[in-house]
Amino acid sequence: MSSSKKSSDGKSSEIEEAVASLTMPFNKILLTSSDGESFEIDEAVARKFQIIAHMIEDDCAGKAIPIDNVTGDILSKIIEYAKKHVVEPDEDEDEEAKKKLDSWDAKFVEKLDLETIFKIILAANYLNFEGLLGFASQTVADYIKDKTPEEVREIFNIENDFTPEEEEAIRKENAWTFNG
Amino acid sequence: MSMSPSILSVLSEDLLVRVYEFLDPPCRKTWRLISKDFLRVDSLSRTTIRILRVEFLPTLLFKYPNLSSLDLSVCPKLDDDVVLRLALDGTVSTLGIKSLNLSRSTAVRARGLETLARMCHALERVDVSHCWGFGDREAAALSSAVGLRELKMDKCLSLSDVGLARIVVGCSNLNKISLKWCMEISDLGIDLLCKMCKGLKSLDVSYLKITNDSIRSIALLLKLEVLDMVSCPLIDDAGLQFLENGSPSLQEVDVTRCERVSLSGLISIVRGHPDIQLLKASHCVSEVSGSFLQYIKALKHLKTIWIDGAHVSDSSLVTLSSSCRSLVEIGLSRCVDVTDIGMMGFARNCLNLKTLNLACCGFVTDVAISAVAQSCRNLETLKLESCHLITEKGLQSLGCYSKLLQELDLTDCYGVNDRGLEYISKCSNLQRLKLGLCTNISDKGIFHIGSKCSKLLELDLYRCAGFGDDGLAALSRGCKSLNRLILSYCCELTDTGVEQIRQLELLSHLELRGLKNITGVGLAAIACGCKKLGYLDLKLCENIDDSGFWALAYFSKNLRQINLCNCSVSDTALCMLMSNLSRVQDVDLVHLSRVTVEGFEFALRACCNRLKKLKLLAPLRFLLSSELLETLHARGCRIRWD
Repeated sequence: MSSSKKSSDGKSSEIEEAVASLTMPFNKILLTSSDGESFEIDEAVARKFQIIAHMIEDDCAGKAIPIDNVTGDILSKIIEYAKKHVVEPDEDEDEEAKKKLDSWDAKFVEKLDLETIFKIILAANYLNFEGLLGFASQTVADYIKDKTPEEVREIFNIENDFTPEEEEAIRKENAWTFNG
Repeated sequence: MSMSPSILSVLSEDLLVRVYEFLDPPCRKTWRLISKDFLRVDSLSRTTIRILRVEFLPTLLFKYPNLSSLDLSVCPKLDDDVVLRLALDGTVSTLGIKSLNLSRSTAVRARGLETLARMCHALERVDVSHCWGFGDREAAALSSAVGLRELKMDKCLSLSDVGLARIVVGCSNLNKISLKWCMEISDLGIDLLCKMCKGLKSLDVSYLKITNDSIRSIALLLKLEVLDMVSCPLIDDAGLQFLENGSPSLQEVDVTRCERVSLSGLISIVRGHPDIQLLKASHCVSEVSGSFLQYIKALKHLKTIWIDGAHVSDSSLVTLSSSCRSLVEIGLSRCVDVTDIGMMGFARNCLNLKTLNLACCGFVTDVAISAVAQSCRNLETLKLESCHLITEKGLQSLGCYSKLLQELDLTDCYGVNDRGLEYISKCSNLQRLKLGLCTNISDKGIFHIGSKCSKLLELDLYRCAGFGDDGLAALSRGCKSLNRLILSYCCELTDTGVEQIRQLELLSHLELRGLKNITGVGLAAIACGCKKLGYLDLKLCENIDDSGFWALAYFSKNLRQINLCNCSVSDTALCMLMSNLSRVQDVDLVHLSRVTVEGFEFALRACCNRLKKLKLLAPLRFLLSSELLETLHARGCRIRWD
């Protein structure tokens, strides 16, 4: 658990912290979800969430950090991902490790339904967890790949608010005016 | 019934943008059709666009205010007037545009360029390659774009040292420039370039008649990383010696076909740059031996080496591979001394190999191929043109081990038969396959390709006499991603087979030369189904009647290049083609026996404002009206008289 004690003698508390960090090399952070579930994680994992990293930098990270916008089930999934991705393997240096991680990612997302993925995107955005935000967005994009507009509307439950003329005009534009 | 909430109620617009950014271009077009909110996301987030018809340029620029990359290279009607009208259009914003592609826009001259440079303040990358009329005045106009970092001027034949000087003085932040084929550029121009643009990282002076003096200047570029000097006839070893102690940041050097360069020139480069990653010396060095191999030992980062055409003994090859174990790509075409022994040793050492070119290495057999397949599991590209000793045994190893193989060239490999094709079809990731001149294959073998290689993008069956209608049907059914198909001189093909091509909706390049048995029926089916067709070669298809050409004129709106030599097209059909195919820029109209002079006159007048390249029979030069020829020339069209 990380804590910053400000005693009257600033220097000795610095020494205390230095000693503490030597004897307890991995600080733990406690995150609490909106519905009261708690998760104790390593500082290194917590730092993947930029808002927490900033809190640690600014010395505002107390014993427990409440994550008000995220429920326990989603938070646990996000932490699971973050733990696996604490160290991102370099594609050039370690192709094996990258492949293994990619395959873990694929399995991770296979089991999730679309609603959960949306919630993960929202949560990753709130926590400022760039890696997962990108990955989840890519997953949603993959749902759309190779589908017709009707199929996409079906999957995402979207209403078609184009008139038939408007839709035809866009189709014509798509076919004749530009690419890319 | 879907119980999930609408994505729009969950994700805000900026998160939708995140998803949008992962879509490829075809998906983005689908995205636009989903709903108005999605259309909005596309309008605000689209950063790159390739305009197909210049009439839509103002509307599209208005719709997409956040563009950073604008590609106008396929708008044949783009000219100065269009640009000036655009500048006066208050609704259009070009302030964010950083990258502008004007390749082949031969009708855009100094006035237009000046206007574009003024409109696009943030311009960093410009491509004016193949604008053969681009000269010093145009260069002066472009020099006002002071933020320019990358400039591609390949084949700007009228550009001289004077124009280049204007550019380097105006755009001193240049870090990448290509002057390939700008034949008027001399040592003076290069010298000034090197003195003014000290931050230059990438320089292409291929085909220029520059001398060693230019290399002396180039050696002063401290940040230069990439240097291309393909086919520079006056460069020799003395010049390359300047590089030994110069250009400390060099990572990639290409001296392919520099006739006067020999091994000692290469040694100079390698001695001075032990960190070099890419070295291309195809068809210039005659031998790779002892002294060079000594220096190769120090090249720990070498990833790519091309020594095509050189004498390389097996032992030299093995030495090379044991020093440079991180090699990813090697070019050994026409290295006739290479045998199985050398390749086996090589394969054992270079496990990361992805690209191997052994074209015309006549002594390489199945043993070598098997060794490479088993050791180099990351193999993606394998070129074996004219390797006559390869049989189905070698292909069996490929099918078994080379799961990542994407490109395979077996042109003129006599030993390839249907069994071999059965084995190759196990490489399910195959994208590009060349089987030209493989006379021992038949429909049986093609069935395997058709049924298993669903990712195939390009297939070359040039002069595969045993290939017929059934094989073509199988391909059309199974390889739906095909975008390039060459069936020239596969004389067994008739309308029945050729009609099936209409199933290939993504086909953009099709060559059907010499198919005497196909008629208008076959062509009409293709035109109807292959809406994306951009390149079509029908030379010597004498039996195609007008019904086929009418269908082409009606359906194939995306055609850019067409070869109708020796076809039986009539006056009216030719006129219909040239007037309706509004994107055609390049036509070959030699030996059209049924077309009269008036027919040519009418047809060419119909498309004279967009044609860029034209091939006609020589006598027509004196029979066509001078008015027509002048108009064509003024619009930037080049005519070749056969």
